[in-house]
Amino acid sequence: MNSIISALNKGIEAAGVDRKRISITSDIPFEPEAVRSLGVDYFQTPRGRAIAFGTGLKLGNPSLKVIPVVGDLMTLGGNHFVHGGRRNMELLVICVNNFVYKKIAGIPAPSTQATFSPYSTFEEPFNFPHLGNSCGAVYTARWTALHTKELAASVSEALHKRGLSMIEVLAPGPNYYRRIDVVESELLQFYFENSVVKNNEDPRNAAITGDDKIIVGKFTDKERPTFIDSYNVQHTKILGDKFTPHGPASEKQKVSGGKNG
Amino acid sequence: MKADKNGVLSGSHVLSGNQACAEGALAAGCRFLGLYPIVPSIEISERFLERAPQVGATFIQMEDEVSALAAVLGASWTGKKSMTVTSGPGLSLMMEHLGLGVMLETPCVIADIQGVGPGLGLPTHPAQGDMMQARWGSHGDYEIVALAPSSPQEMFDYTIKAFNFSERYRIPVAIMSDAHVARLKETVLIPPADQINVEPRRYYEGAKDSYLPFKRDKDFVPRMVDIGQGYRFHVTGLTHDDRGYPIMFEECQEYNVHPLVWKIRQAADKIVEVQETDTDEADVVVVSYGATSRAALKAIKQARDSGIKVGSLKLVTVWPFPEKRVAELAKRARAFVVPEMNCGQVVLEVERNTYGEANVFFVPHGDNGVEHTEDILSAIKQASQTNVAKSGIIELA
Repeated sequence: MNSIISALNKGIEAAGVDRKRISITSDIPFEPEAVRSLGVDYFQTPRGRAIAFGTGLKLGNPSLKVIPVVGDLMTLGGNHFVHGGRRNMELLVICVNNFVYKKIAGIPAPSTQATFSPYSTFEEPFNFPHLGNSCGAVYTARWTALHTKELAASVSEALHKRGLSMIEVLAPGPNYYRRIDVVESELLQFYFENSVVKNNEDPRNAAITGDDKIIVGKFTDKERPTFIDSYNVQHTKILGDKFTPHGPASEKQKVSGGKNG
Repeated sequence: MKADKNGVLSGSHVLSGNQACAEGALAAGCRFLGLYPIVPSIEISERFLERAPQVGATFIQMEDEVSALAAVLGASWTGKKSMTVTSGPGLSLMMEHLGLGVMLETPCVIADIQGVGPGLGLPTHPAQGDMMQARWGSHGDYEIVALAPSSPQEMFDYTIKAFNFSERYRIPVAIMSDAHVARLKETVLIPPADQINVEPRRYYEGAKDSYLPFKRDKDFVPRMVDIGQGYRFHVTGLTHDDRGYPIMFEECQEYNVHPLVWKIRQAADKIVEVQETDTDEADVVVVSYGATSRAALKAIKQARDSGIKVGSLKLVTVWPFPEKRVAELAKRARAFVVPEMNCGQVVLEVERNTYGEANVFFVPHGDNGVEHTEDILSAIKQASQTNVAKSGIIELA
């Protein structure tokens, strides 16, 4: 978690985004002081709802940059992600993949690898970048938590993308994953050493199988109109001058700094 | 504070209950609607969507009711008055975020247009089967406000009331309407904007550094600021302290969650609203709300014409329930008659608050729906003729 906060910190710094305009929504708890040190607003939502909650934040105030950090992305929050991608809602989704439900003693998740888990699962796991890419995300990438520089660069890059971006971070999830005697740091080292950077690889090939090397890198980087773009275009087409476009260029907010600024 | 002229369609209009609800929301300053379409609430969103771009409001059709209410909560934190509309099956999905809304003390409004349940039921037919769900459906202890309109005019008026309560107490407020009122078309008078009172958001006005997002004022209600201003909010659905940091101890549960309940209970006298006619002299009091009030008032008139001393207690707020008033009336009246479009929900509250001092007759959802005046009339007659005190609720077939 600390490496993710550190990467977010560096990424936000490099992107040059005003921190008070950033909101992190998350369905996994962050250490309060750690997230406070980022200088952003933070909301912890129920399991899986970070993207849905973030959608409300973004639409309520389009000048915000919203970063949903999700743990069990494709379970409870799966449909929110799919539709977020389809709409191209401007969100930077950080998917923390530790292959298990870490907070509840390593129970298998939809990301669990059969070969990694001694007797707990036989289901096919998700390939998150492929899923994101298919749903219409404009940016997908995967890094391990030890690829700190690359991860921070991805965050910085994705913060400037207009639309839904997704960065999958492979983070250690200990407990019953792989072997009980493997501790977190060793596991992290294991991911790092077993990964190979392949930028622009077709995300279809990026499934984590457990047999091959883990493919990391940036997979998708494209442009599409965002939800707010399409919303404005459609209403302007129908209503003409009667419609005031909705968007980050809401001058009133910038001038006054909002109600309490 | 007066309403924003932009959203108020002043004048006399013929509107359905659903349309009036949308107009009420816009008049109250609602500028965000998160929805997932469901019969019979569609016309609220239709009307809102049609008018939204012209008044600077935003909407989004989400992928389900869970995310619809989640987005509403999010939008509310950015300073926009927000609402969602749904029906029974949707309300069931919203229970997760209803509880979150209570815990995060987020003002928002949920319009529930009730159809017949459980399960898929008869979605196009009116019912009042969600009354207890709104009160108890989410896990843990909580209190919310629920209003029950009985006409398009009341749909307009109560929607404004709902937004005002939600801002005043920082809670989700439910408008518990039904398919009958929602479709009914009647004249709705929308007053000029300067005659509509709108509760402003209770913003924090101190120094930025000393702001504590969950520090309660004397009414147990914390002050808000909009996000994105550099306050470095930490907001969590876990039990939290004044800073919003999670604290996992029982002591904090008492400190954090008990006031969520008490802020409504201690203000109940201010929140509770009923419309009473002829209750002081009444032998029989008819307690009704929502669409059933319409049939009840007709039955009451017929009963009075035939010489029975009957009064009407129409609930404006169903939650909090007018406990004190029912207890007072129970000492004087011989019986209560409670018609509802369900198998007995609010009647339980009536019975509880009579403390055994009056008989309670219940008229359930019948073959013809409860808009069957004769059923209520015969219940009133029977109630006025029963001299013996009976225990429990007397259900009439």
